[in-house]
Amino acid sequence: MDYKLRKAEPKDVSDILRLVKELAKYEEMEHQVTLTEKELLEDGFGDTPFYHCVIAETQGESSRDDPRVVGFAMYYFTYDPWVGKQLYLEEFYVMDECRGLGIGSEILRHLSDLAMKTRCTGMMFVVAENNEPSLQFYKRRGAEDLSQEEGWRLFRFDKDSLVKMATPAEE
Amino acid sequence: MASFILRRAEPKDVSDILRLIKELAKFEEMEEKVILTEKELLEDGFGDHPFYHCLVAEVPKEQKLFILLKFNSRCSLPGYTVIGFAMYYFTYDPWIGKLLYLEDFFIMQEFRGLGIGSDILKRLSETAVKTRCSSMHFIVAENNTKSIEFYKRRGAADLSSEEGWRLFEIEKADLLKMTSK
Repeated sequence: MDYKLRKAEPKDVSDILRLVKELAKYEEMEHQVTLTEKELLEDGFGDTPFYHCVIAETQGESSRDDPRVVGFAMYYFTYDPWVGKQLYLEEFYVMDECRGLGIGSEILRHLSDLAMKTRCTGMMFVVAENNEPSLQFYKRRGAEDLSQEEGWRLFRFDKDSLVKMATPAEE
Repeated sequence: MASFILRRAEPKDVSDILRLIKELAKFEEMEEKVILTEKELLEDGFGDHPFYHCLVAEVPKEQKLFILLKFNSRCSLPGYTVIGFAMYYFTYDPWIGKLLYLEDFFIMQEFRGLGIGSDILKRLSETAVKTRCSSMHFIVAENNTKSIEFYKRRGAADLSSEEGWRLFEIEKADLLKMTSK
């Protein structure tokens, strides 16, 4: 199967949302995806992009077939106050039927190139502790489990807590 | 009572920001790991595309001596008025959209207990709500009970506990290995 990697464009938001939902379904969390195509468009392709995407697209059986988006990675830049810029890999998914073809490895290679070009000191991401295939995929490539080695725990203030902490809106 | 102000960081603040980053790293016994420079902080925070944002807490110069004497501090560093900071940036959750990520948060020891930390969190919460972020994320070392309590008191949930997330990193040497394949 021929495929190519490219930067996402505004026209890709519906495929991006489709793949986000497929990955959420795989994690049995599909109903938790409340993001819309409109938000993805504003947030990714406005004046200040809040995320970037690389898309994997197959050519199709013949030249008459439309290309199909079969995988993606969503990332953004974060900042480590000890060493500076980092590339943060937020989401990474290749459709089931397209696995084992090296698409995932190619995407990671593309992201590694990008991280080096933008002078990032590392790439970070979270993995669910019970996701063995992903844990192995990353560890094979040198990823270290900082939660294990350094004892970091990820915390969240949800909207309710934020509103409680913020100054109440003027009446 | 001592007064303090919170304001957005400006280019002139980069040396204070670096000083406070190093103080926090020292508190974690990791000071030698800070290799970031003022030049990088300046380019990365105040260029065309900021990679981070900072809030700084400042006490008026006249107040500083009063506070240090009142708290019987052995701090003998004159001239500093920036005594705390929070570094944050925006991240993206593909299920819900924009998030505010709190990267570093530190008040000099001599200035704790005055409500500066709470005020910073309040300001960050306002920023998050105003920029339509769905939540604020941050990491805490599992043995840092004081900080964990500080955050839990304000409603923070431990996602590592509740959802089993583990934080990973691929360092430069391994990124390079992947680029050449």
